[in-house]
Order: sequence, then structure tokens, then C-alpha cells
Amino acid sequence: MSDLLFFIEVTLAGLGSGALLSLTALAFVLIYKATRVINLAVGEVLMLGGYLFFAFASGLNLPAWAAIPLAVAGGGLVGAVLERGVIRPMLGENPISVFMVTIGIGSVLVGLVELVWGADPIALPAFMGNTPIFLGEAYVSRKIAIGFAVAAVVIGFFVLLFRTWRGGVALRATASDQAAAYSCGINVPGVFSAAWIIGCGTAAGAGILLGSIGGIAPTMGVFGLSALVVVIVGGLDSIAGALVGGLLIGLVEAWAGTYLGGEYKIVTTFGILIVMLMIRPYGLFGTTEIERL
Amino acid sequence: MQIGTAKLSYRADEALLTTKPQRLWMAALIAGLALAPLVLDNYWLYLACLVAINVASATGINILTGFTGLVSLGQAAFMAVGAYTVAVMDARLGTPFLVNLVAGGVVAAAVGGVVGLPSLRVKGLYLAIATIAASFILHFVFVNWESLTNGNSGLTVQPATFFGTPLTDYWQLYYVFVPITGLMVLGAANLFRTRIGRAFIAIRDRDISAEVLGISLLRYKLLSFAVSSFYAGVAGGMWAYFFRVVTPESFPFIYSVFFLAAIIVGGMGTILGGILGAIFMTLVPELLRFVVEWITPIYPNAVAALSPIRTIVFGGLIIGFLIAEPKGLAEIVQRVRRFFHLWPFKK
Amino acid sequence: MLEFSRRTLIAASAAITLGAALPAQAADDIVIGGSIPLTGVFAFAGVGIEAGFQDYLKILNEQGGIHGRKVRLAYEDTAYKVDASVAAFNKLNSQEEIHLYYGDSTAFAKTINPELDRKGSMIMAGASFASELNDPKAYPFQFMAGPDYTEMTGILLEYIAKEKPGAKIVLVNSDTEFGRDPIEGTKARAKALGLEVVEEIITPPTAVDVSTEVLKLRRARPDYTIFHGYVLAPVPEFISQARQLGLETKFMGTFWSMDSSLWAKVGDLADGYMGVMPYRYYYDEAENAPMLEQIRQMRPDYQSTAYMQGFLSAMLFTEAAKRTLDDGKELNAVNLKASLNSIRDFDTGGIIGTPISIPGNSIPVGRIYQYDASAQKMVPASDWISLQE
Repeated sequence: MSDLLFFIEVTLAGLGSGALLSLTALAFVLIYKATRVINLAVGEVLMLGGYLFFAFASGLNLPAWAAIPLAVAGGGLVGAVLERGVIRPMLGENPISVFMVTIGIGSVLVGLVELVWGADPIALPAFMGNTPIFLGEAYVSRKIAIGFAVAAVVIGFFVLLFRTWRGGVALRATASDQAAAYSCGINVPGVFSAAWIIGCGTAAGAGILLGSIGGIAPTMGVFGLSALVVVIVGGLDSIAGALVGGLLIGLVEAWAGTYLGGEYKIVTTFGILIVMLMIRPYGLFGTTEIERL
Repeated sequence: MQIGTAKLSYRADEALLTTKPQRLWMAALIAGLALAPLVLDNYWLYLACLVAINVASATGINILTGFTGLVSLGQAAFMAVGAYTVAVMDARLGTPFLVNLVAGGVVAAAVGGVVGLPSLRVKGLYLAIATIAASFILHFVFVNWESLTNGNSGLTVQPATFFGTPLTDYWQLYYVFVPITGLMVLGAANLFRTRIGRAFIAIRDRDISAEVLGISLLRYKLLSFAVSSFYAGVAGGMWAYFFRVVTPESFPFIYSVFFLAAIIVGGMGTILGGILGAIFMTLVPELLRFVVEWITPIYPNAVAALSPIRTIVFGGLIIGFLIAEPKGLAEIVQRVRRFFHLWPFKK
Repeated sequence: MLEFSRRTLIAASAAITLGAALPAQAADDIVIGGSIPLTGVFAFAGVGIEAGFQDYLKILNEQGGIHGRKVRLAYEDTAYKVDASVAAFNKLNSQEEIHLYYGDSTAFAKTINPELDRKGSMIMAGASFASELNDPKAYPFQFMAGPDYTEMTGILLEYIAKEKPGAKIVLVNSDTEFGRDPIEGTKARAKALGLEVVEEIITPPTAVDVSTEVLKLRRARPDYTIFHGYVLAPVPEFISQARQLGLETKFMGTFWSMDSSLWAKVGDLADGYMGVMPYRYYYDEAENAPMLEQIRQMRPDYQSTAYMQGFLSAMLFTEAAKRTLDDGKELNAVNLKASLNSIRDFDTGGIIGTPISIPGNSIPVGRIYQYDASAQKMVPASDWISLQE
């Protein structure tokens, strides 16, 4: 097999896993954009999404087309509960405190999942089929291809939503100036809730995709850390940034893993993060303002 | 009611212990700590040593996060640097353990200074994320710098020796760790009576105003990182002599979260808070073990729930304290003190 | 007030210890201590290990114990964390007189080793088969109830060399201490056996998506792929993608990735997955396996591979104690280890299908099993292979 074809295949695989990162990063961005909270529990909500899908599909024997929306809705519900119960009381507090609260939420979610489903890794019921996909001669894993397609559709959908839908515009207005948004009659607390619901629902959806590839375990929340790198690189408040950053990190990880060795994946990712923070802390597409925290 | 505490000089006003009861209590505490090994069994001595190590490190991160306002999620990585320094010096040079501990602190401080560099450019959450990145990069170095760190299997450490006696029993280590931690805590308490410490606080409260007042942000932010990492390094060194094996997996990322959680629960920006937080967070998982033992006769499967419950309690404590008691255990202690000070005149 | 709260805390905790540490059992019981991961990432193993211990001790005690003394397991959950394991070790040792101890991880075994040497009163086995521990000089009072990780891959290589001389092999290891353990030893043995290691793949510990690794695998076109350092994920995804690509390679694993109930959940994909097992499976049909019969009588449901590991560990512990007491010697580390090493051609009652000897710290025997998805069982693919000369 030619080296060029191999390179193309690695690149495609990288773009595919990058799309999953983008989707998770989107959850960070949605929540940050509206509420200025970096929600470190996104990784754990993602894990919970995988488990909810498992509960609906395996426990209740629902077909995948019913289990997936239910799991996503479950993620959204968790988001709503967290926002109303824990984040709302912290409104106006030091951002660092809110950040730490989300770390605490993550820990609680891990414990709850372990309590209900145990700590063993679980394989999700297969619903994507197994026939490989070939682009010309280049092989693409079917699950990765599906992941890519879903991420592309979801991100495209959100971009449209923010351009055209009233609620999307309200969210952007809240993001740019809370007080002004209030005075225009926008229901800012409602926007906060909506952002958490949509964000956590997205994360839960990403969890289903991720879980169907690698199985689910309470520890799979660490995936959120990689997605965090993506948002920093792409820009905390930019949906386009999440997309481009995700694909970029996915590519770099794939190349590093292939040509340097698997142990270089994480270190390259975080190396990029450090460089990015030094030269362009607001990210590729983020709003150019120095964080005053 | 507390009376007769009028101070006649600034010196007296600035003192660490200002009243007679305080001095009495402190003497009682020191005596209690000195005599504790006589009554504690090995298990509690083990925990006491662990608490001492964690108190030292938590005090360090409190200087950085609580007093200077720079959030770090890299404390465990700095401890690892200290632990590796101690392990390497112990194996290669055979220097006495006190020298190794100091060296561990110094090397960690140097690394901390470098990691602190982004703090000049980014603040707050961005900085926290930069320290996360730094800890993963350090982990990579520990795994792959095999000639020095022996890769994934790590290094073993010979017991510390004190005038020829190897310190292997927990009571021996207790008498080494507790005084060292005591000195470090004392150092931290005194730090905030000096220009440097006050500069840290000024930066935390408003960095621009601090700069206007003539405090060099560059110098003091890096200094704060270095001091905090020094504490972590020494704590990591003690950890190395305590567990005697240092591997890249010894200091996981969650350990950094643990320290941040400890100062949140204890109370950020007070020396007492760092101490109380570290004690509390170290002992709570162990106390849960006893709770489970009590419950087992009623609910036999309790043991299977122990680990998830520990995880939930860990997260719950962080959330609960941040929402309900943001100033932490130290504030509760202050409230109790105030009650007795004012008693019986105020209910 | 600081002093007040600290003192109350200490006093309260002391009271708790007193309350919790009421030993209700007879004083001359022989106690096996255990730091067992009943929760956390290794819980699936810990639960089985504990059950295996309890069952063997029950059988033994019904037969009168050792010299009329009952044997009992005193254990604590560790959640597979080193500091919790050490805490459990200290707690149990301050409550009981312990001569036999079961530890949960490589890191714990290494951490506690100096303490074992210093105490000189107990021997230890554990859930770790780290090659490093298989060194009687450095770890004089420890052993493992099976082959170490390098010996496990060694047994796989012996099998491969017999099945297909000169075969091409790819090693896939996780980037952890556990995963990297046997790499060097495996490469050396493969060379000695005339096998070719064509690629080494290291996966990050959190790896989910393995498509780039599978591409590497496809380029290497191996006859056999040996996984080590995983319990389950991401091996099924590897197999799935490799099958999609039409790769002809055979996938193999080591002991901790061999539990058949885990593979049963993976389904048809698992068909043909092979690996090395030091013990028989719960459902194995075998002549002269009275212990397996007894286990099936005590427990009607499938018991995990970890159960077998615990069961055999308990058997070897008590055998060492019995031999020491038979010789009229005191139960201490030196005597117990000497008694353990005196075990020659020992019949395990069918747990291992061949008589075993423990000249050093490990039992380098094992058998290749292959998963049969239609029967949902692991079936033997070879006879017992011993690396002992």
C-alpha cells in the first residue's frame, strides 16, 4: 500500500475523531457563550448520555431511534436541573468558584453513575451497522464516518439556528451584553436555562456516539479535557472555532499518534494548548478581549 | 468576653498570636501533636503523616490561589517534580534526606516558575487550563525520560536516615513530617506579614491597582508560583519518603483537584483554611469507611457503594461549601470563636 | 478553636476505631489480610477475588481448617488506589495478627515491599502479575498465583511458534505501567523463537477511537496481534474495524482481558478472540477436577476469572501456612516463603490442569483459550504450556 494512501486514510480518521471533539466542544461553547461559565462537567454529562442510552436501549429494550432522542432529552433535563439547582445560586460569584462547582458536579455525576450501573466497562448495543465505507480506495471506519456526519449536521444546524431563530438571536444578544439584553426584554434567565439544556443535550448526544465506538465507563469523562483544549484553541465563544479547533486537534492527534507513537497524542495536544495560550489566548476565532477574571 | 487585649505597639498588633488564651491553646496543640504518637496506633499514625504531607501542599496552593488569586490545577504535578528530585538524588548522590527535600522544593519551584510564565499573559480560568496542560506534559516527561525516571515502573526510594537510623516506622516519620509541615505553615503565616505576602494579596484584590502601587506583577506572580511550587515540592519529597515508590501514576490529575478542593472547603486565603481543608478532605474518605462498617449489618451491600459514595461526597463537599459557606471551615471556626469571645453578652 | 476542633476530631476518630475494631472471632484464627478493590475501576476483579477467597476458606474450614485453626479473610475496600491500599494494610495490621496478605495493585506491591521486608512476619500475593515482582531477590516475601505478564505473552508466543513458525506479530499496549510491562521481554522472546515483531502500537490510556491504530495494523499485516494492558475497551473496536477491513490477523490477550462474561456482552465480534489463561474456567469439563465441581455446587452461576485467581491464591496461602505448621515452625515471612517454595508438582484440584511448582515468585504455566461466540464460552485451544524447564 502506498504511503500516500496511508496518509490520506490517517487524515480521514483524524478528521472523523476530530468531528466528535467538535461536537463536545460545541457543548462547552454554547454554555460559555450564554452564561460565561466554563462547564468542566461537560465530560461527565457526555458519559451520562452514554449510560442513559444504554439504560433505554438495553434496559428497556427500546429501539435505537427511540433511545437516542430519549438519552439526549435526559441530558438536557440534567442540564436544566444543574442550571436551576446549582449554577443559578452561584450567579454573580467569582468565575473561579463557578468553575470549581462544575468540577464538583462532575465528581457527583461519576459517583452516581457508578452507584447505579457499577464501574465496569460496558459495550453499547450496536446500531450503526458494520459495512466499511471506502472513499475511493481509502478506508473510513463506519462509526467514525457516521460520527462525522452527525457532528457536521448538528453544528450546521446550530449555526443556522443562531442566525435565524429568535431564541438563537436572544442567546447571541445575551452573550454580547447581558444588561442590554435585559433591557430589550429578553428573558435572560430563560436564555441561561436554554443554553444549559441545549449544551448538555449536545454533550449527551456526543456521549452516545463516543460510547458506541469505545464502550462506556464512568471514566470516559476525561474526553471532556481534550474537548476543552479544542475550545481554547478555537475560541471559547465561537461555534466556528469549535468546529475548526476540533478538526485541527483531531488531525494533529492522528498524525502524532501515527508517525510519532500513541504516547505522543496527549502531549502534542497540550503542547498546542500552551503555545496557543502564549500567543493567542482568546483562540483562533474567539472574541479578542483579555479575560478579566 | 475577651478583654484586656489593647495593644501598645504595632509590633504587638502584628504578632501571630495576640492573646494569652491563643498562646495557651497553641502550646496545648504543640504538646498534643508531640504526644499523639504515644496514643495513636499505626493506622492513625499513617493517616497523620498523610495529613501532614497534604497540609504542606495545601498551604502551598493556598499561597498561590487563596492569597495571590492565581488558580492552579498543577499542584500534584509539582509534587511529582519534588518526589522525583528526591528519588533521583537519593539513588544517584545519596545525599541526606533534608538536603534532598530542600532540593526537591527548589527544583519544583524552578519548574513552577516556568509553568507560571503564562500567568503574565492569561489569568483566571485560562491559567487554570494552562496548568492542566503543564501537568499532562510533565507526566509525559516522567514516562519518557527513562534514563532519569525509569519510565513507567518508576523509582524506589531508600528510607530517610537520621543520624544512621533509618526512618521506616510511621511514628518516626511522624516526628519528621509534622515539624517540617509546622515550619512550612509558620513560614506561610509569616510571609503575609512581609512586603512580599502583602504584594500577593494586593495582586489578588486588584492587579492593576497593585501595579500602580509599584508592585511588579511579573516578579510577584512568578514568585508566588515559585513559593507555592516549593511547598508542593517539599510535600512531594515527603511523599516519596513516605510511600517509597515514585511512578508517573503516583500523582494523578485528580490529586491536583483534591488540593484545590481542600482549600475551598477549608477556606481560601487563610492559613487556618488550608490546614483544616487538608485535614478534612484527607480524613473524610477514611471516616466514610467506618460509616460503611456500621451500616453493613443493616445493609450488607454497603461496602460496594463505598467508592461511589466517596466520589459523590467529594463533589458534594465542593458544591456545598461553595454555595453555602464560600469562606470554608475557617469561617465556621471563626464564628464559633466569636461566639465564645462575646459570650455571654451576645446570643 | 483550632485546637478544640482538632482534638475533638482525634478523640472522635479514636472512639470510632475502638467501636469498629471489636474482633468477634476466636483468637487463634489464622487471618489473611486483604486490600481488595471492591469498588472503582478494578471492582469487577475485586468482587470475584473476594468471593474466591471466601469460598476456598469455607471449604477448608469445613474440613477442619489448618491444624484445627480456622482461617479467615479480613479485608478492606481500596477502590484500587494506592494510598487507600496502604491505609487498609495499616488498619488491618493494627487490628489483627496477619501472616498472609493479599494486595491489589503493582504500585501497592512495590510500595509495601520495604514494609514487608521490615516486618518479616508475612508473605503477600496479589492481583498484580508485574514482571518486576517476579524477582525473589528484590521481592523476597511476595509471589503471584500465576505467570507474570512477560511469561503470559511468552506462553502465547510458544503457542504461536508451534502453530505458525516465523509468524509476524504486532504488539498493542496501553500507555500505562500495566500496559508497557511485558514489551521488552516479549520482543526478546519473540526473537529467540524466530518470530517477527513487525509493529508496536502504544495507545493512550484514554483512547476511544482507534481508527488510526487499525490503519497501522493493516499496514503491518500481522498474523497475530497481542493486546496487553486492557480489560476490554478498546479491544472490541480494534477487532471490529480490523474485520471490516478484512484483516486475517488473530487477536490475543492476557489474563485480565480473558473473562468470558465480559466478552459475552461483546457478542459475535468476540468469536475467535484468544488468550492465555493460567486457570480453568468455571464451566470447564475436566477429569480429576474436584475443586471445580465443588465451586459449581457452591455457586450455580458463572464465576469470573478473578474468582479463580482469588480461589487459587487462598489455596496457596493456606498450603504454605499448613506446611509451615506441619514442620512445627513459627508463622513468619521466611518460613512461609520457604514452605511456599517447597510446593512441587502440587495438585490444585483441577483449578490448573497440570501439577504446579513454585520455585520462585510465579507459576509460569498457562493454556490458550479461544472464545466461541455460539457457545458463549472460552474453549481450550491448546494443552497446558509450561515455561518451566
